[in-house]
Amino acid sequence: MSYFTLILKNPFRNKTRSSLAIVGIAIGITVIVALGMVTGGLKTSTQSTLKAGGAEITVIQAGSGSFGFGSGSSSINDSYVTDIQKLSGVKDTVGILRVISNAPSGSNSSFSGGGFSITGINSSKLSLAGVDSVNGTIFTNGSANEIIMGKTAAQDLNKTVGDTVNLYGKDFTVTGIFETGSFIQDAGAFMSLDTLQNLTNNNNRVSNILVKINDNANITDVSNTIQDTYPELNTTTAAAQAGRINQGLSFIDTATWAISLLAIIIGGVGVINTMIMSVYERTREIGVLKAVGWKDRRILGMILGESIVLTLIAAVVGTVVGIVGVEAILSFSPSVGGVITPSFAPDIFLRAFGVAFLVGIIGGLYPAYRASRLAPTEALRYE
Amino acid sequence: MNNKPNIIEIRNLKKSYDKGKIKALNGIDLEIKKGDFVSIMGPSGSGKSTLLNMIGALDRGDEGAIKVAGMDLMRTKNLSNFRSQEIGFVFQMHNLIPNLTVLENVEIPMYETNASSKEMHERALELLKSVDLGDKIGQNPTKLSGGERQRVAIARALVNHPSIILADEPTGALDSKTGDIILNLLKELHQKEHVTLVMVTHEPYVAEMADRIINVLDGKIKSE
Repeated sequence: MSYFTLILKNPFRNKTRSSLAIVGIAIGITVIVALGMVTGGLKTSTQSTLKAGGAEITVIQAGSGSFGFGSGSSSINDSYVTDIQKLSGVKDTVGILRVISNAPSGSNSSFSGGGFSITGINSSKLSLAGVDSVNGTIFTNGSANEIIMGKTAAQDLNKTVGDTVNLYGKDFTVTGIFETGSFIQDAGAFMSLDTLQNLTNNNNRVSNILVKINDNANITDVSNTIQDTYPELNTTTAAAQAGRINQGLSFIDTATWAISLLAIIIGGVGVINTMIMSVYERTREIGVLKAVGWKDRRILGMILGESIVLTLIAAVVGTVVGIVGVEAILSFSPSVGGVITPSFAPDIFLRAFGVAFLVGIIGGLYPAYRASRLAPTEALRYE
Repeated sequence: MNNKPNIIEIRNLKKSYDKGKIKALNGIDLEIKKGDFVSIMGPSGSGKSTLLNMIGALDRGDEGAIKVAGMDLMRTKNLSNFRSQEIGFVFQMHNLIPNLTVLENVEIPMYETNASSKEMHERALELLKSVDLGDKIGQNPTKLSGGERQRVAIARALVNHPSIILADEPTGALDSKTGDIILNLLKELHQKEHVTLVMVTHEPYVAEMADRIINVLDGKIKSE
């Protein structure tokens, strides 16, 4: 048997204690892996969401706090759509009405997102909302019973082209299915603007106006022009949204690191405790190892190695539980699953194993040092 | 008596514990010839185990001189090498590692040598056969009887071809019949492997198996 095999074998002498230490560290690793996968997934889908919009500027009601995602409370008279169109640098505009309806009745899926996002829009200007291609056909303007659905929504509701969904007590035929890459858009549906206005008593009102600028125009200039001309309106640009989202994501990143640090500390204390107990119980045995000629270095290496074995097993367990956990939560909750495609970036797993390795070293160092410094005669006398 | 060279030479060796309050060794002078079987006798607290630990380089003396297998143990820094190469210990309690097999326990001292896994396996197997445990190499020591465990410990002590076996009450935890078997085995191996055997005991009939008996009292050699 090699020295290495001995190190692998030793942690399992007290299975209960080692298992508990492994669980303690594995929890931290699970959190690191799960958060990493979710954050990574959010970053990817956010980037494609930001890229997806055909319009560079989103106009909202001043003070409404809605920045284009979701319905918010922004409500603008749709006459602004043509007004803004006339401003210099503006190539095209479209008014959209975003509402969150209840999940369509008749859905046989556990649609649990808390609502279903429906956007009313002029069908000829779908590209401004990022919908460039549709599998099937788009709805006709003014049609009171046609709808197109995002890929995720269609999957969640188990609908394909030609099926019907019931919204606001009316049946709508799904004429097409689209995919934009934006997790928000793909989980919702589009229908004719005036139909949605009628259904929700929002005649002549829109939530946002999407503005596409001329190729040679400057986003900031056009944005400022709109706000200067119409102080009652507010604008937000894709770049600004990206900044805000990045700020949010970097906050999550910081939180992930903070949790990792916490995992190192808690796990480290657990490992120190486990290894000190183990050394304490094996005092005589360490005395024997010294008596048969083992060098202090070899004893130090053995205890440190055992500590690292524990934490690396915890890393494997924690990583598996993290992956299975994230996948399970996403598959049990399709609305969330549609929003986040978990990331499997190698750095997540490198971080998990790096943290585990570090905990193994930090947790094992002191017990290993103590073991190596034991006086052989005293260790052999130990009862 | 005989003209064999000394393997152990001790001059006025002193060792005290507890800041000088307990004088464990109080000026020991002793010579042991290579290949001899020597018993060290004395009541508990007489210093006989301390003397054995000094010879085995598990502890250092405070003053005096001790030379074992040509090595000055008062000056040598790296005592673990010395222990690994020259000394084999047999303790009263077998002190085997419970989660390792019998064979693996015997291999343990060889980790500090350059032996390959195969060499380790072969040497351990050879010794286990010589102590009549060739059929129990894969067993866990906890499943063995007291006598069998002590035989494993003897095999472990011999694995690195030491020049000296130090046995501290090797039969102390065994019944007299099993104890006799172990003593005969030790004696037989000492002759076969030409190894010096120093055994601490407080039982006169055990001590009498040796070529020479040294009586220790109050940290001094009282008589031979």
